[in-house]
Amino acid sequence: MKLVLFGEDYRLGVLQGDAVIDASSVGNEIPHNTPQQMMSKLIADFDQHRGRLEQLAASGQGTPVGQVRLRAPVPRPARLVCMAGNYMENGTLTQPNPLNAFNKSSSSIIGNGDVITIPGSDPRIFEHEAELAIIIGKKAERVSAENSYDYIFGYTNFVDVSHRGRQDDGLRHNFFDGKSWETFGPLGPSIVTADEVSDPQNLAIKLWVQGDLRQDYNTSDMGHSIKETLKWITSITTLQPGDVVACGTNHRGLGPLQDGDKMEVEIADFGRLTNQVSDAKKRTWPRETRSQREAREAKA
Amino acid sequence: MKLVLFGDDFKLGLLQGDNVVDISQATEEINYFSPQEMMSLLIQDFDKYLGKIEELAAKGQGIPASQLRLRSPLPEPGRIVCMAGNYMESGTRSEPGPIAAFNKSSSSVIGNGDTVILPDAPATVFEHEAELGIVIGKRAHAIKAASVYDYIFGYVNFIDVSCRGIGRPGADNFFIGKSWHTFGPIGPALVTADEVANPQALPIRLSVQGDLRQDYNTGDMAHKIPEMLEWVTSITTLEPGDVVACGTNHRGLGPLQDGDTVEMEIGNFGKLTVHVTDAQKRSWPRETHAQREAREAAAAR
Repeated sequence: MKLVLFGEDYRLGVLQGDAVIDASSVGNEIPHNTPQQMMSKLIADFDQHRGRLEQLAASGQGTPVGQVRLRAPVPRPARLVCMAGNYMENGTLTQPNPLNAFNKSSSSIIGNGDVITIPGSDPRIFEHEAELAIIIGKKAERVSAENSYDYIFGYTNFVDVSHRGRQDDGLRHNFFDGKSWETFGPLGPSIVTADEVSDPQNLAIKLWVQGDLRQDYNTSDMGHSIKETLKWITSITTLQPGDVVACGTNHRGLGPLQDGDKMEVEIADFGRLTNQVSDAKKRTWPRETRSQREAREAKA
Repeated sequence: MKLVLFGDDFKLGLLQGDNVVDISQATEEINYFSPQEMMSLLIQDFDKYLGKIEELAAKGQGIPASQLRLRSPLPEPGRIVCMAGNYMESGTRSEPGPIAAFNKSSSSVIGNGDTVILPDAPATVFEHEAELGIVIGKRAHAIKAASVYDYIFGYVNFIDVSCRGIGRPGADNFFIGKSWHTFGPIGPALVTADEVANPQALPIRLSVQGDLRQDYNTGDMAHKIPEMLEWVTSITTLEPGDVVACGTNHRGLGPLQDGDTVEMEIGNFGKLTVHVTDAQKRSWPRETHAQREAREAAAAR
């Protein structure tokens, strides 16, 4: 099942092919003050709601997805924990980096069709990091690796937009002002429930900028597997239903984002997440990925 | 006004002297799903509830605070943004470091009387960082230095418990360094801003086993509160009930270990006491950064 939030009032919906089926009758029965609370509670008690959602989906009375505004399906998760440097980088690393993560401010989250606003600060570059995001299904504290999949509700596309400071080339990394800017967390368009993903360690992740394929990697290249990642994170901090863990990215295909760019990301058959980029300062960078830059520099 | 939460059901109370007056009736109209949400909504519309709080406070009997379990007045803030390296370190720095921060997991929060549990992690040491915690009063995005105090609801004692020597060398290791369960003692009370005449002139003291370790003043802050909140909110939006911790003066930092009792107090905020437990019973020299430097300098002479 693919769950979405849509419209000005963040209605609950089920995505069936290209149609959004209004499931607000289910969402509205859940006591909540915010759309995130509704989603978190729906996730926590999903077994109670699944039957009615399936019935609504089967009734087939939907609106073409192109006619609705899709919102981030988890608009303000209490926690957005992102893994850092968690891929083997297409064989350019001989062993995984030590486990590392950061808390990204969830007020950075935007939905499909929203605009990434590049701030006026003066870093070296702004980059896209396409990532598999895990949506937590139940309270997870000190979970074992072997049980970690019991705590996963579903998955979604996520882009960890990143601002590289002038001092962060191995000298000083600052994840707060590198990652937590408003609009730096595109997420969606839907939550794909875990039962639809047969092997989350074998998912193709692709990201395009202006139609050029930049990132094209597989979650099988992950440095620390999902099991290991969730065991480690929950040994440190407690996760709750509706929280998000992003699995990190393969950096080989990272490249610059700049004003006017259209960025698209898609993991397997999750559906495409599309965002525009806006920069009031209209800065530009060479249109190349890290591996393209390395190849160019090696040749020179 | 000093707001507290107390008991198993996190009731709202007012600390008056040594007594807690139950003012939970004041929030009866609030539709909330957690104690934190109750506090955040109370803070957001505080003027609306103030009259009722004062009325209840005037006629309340009060129970000695020592007979109650005080909880963190903010049990799980939406955000805890902590400033990193934000003091002039008692004159040992010639200029402020670059402005920097991290998001600490709010599931680290514990209250007065609770226990800091040192994890089974290969850290070289676990330390206390006594800090002034700012409690946000209204939605704050891209606010200007000149108006930041309009966005401050109050203040709390906060300890940013930290572990060192862990993670990837050269990387930002604040997650594994700071976000562990129980690493965020807050309380006992949330002191409203009207009670704090000058937040840039507050003495902060922290002692371990009765020995005074940290003893500094918020006057030593490098990036002051207006600049800090302008910078933080230029990046991320803060909401009522969120916390911004102002960083610590590192000169008085020292190790925490099994059996320790830690006491901390800012100005007249009331004392925050927490205990420390470590299943591995690790121990370290009982000295602060400044004491260690002095010892090493003496040995080198």
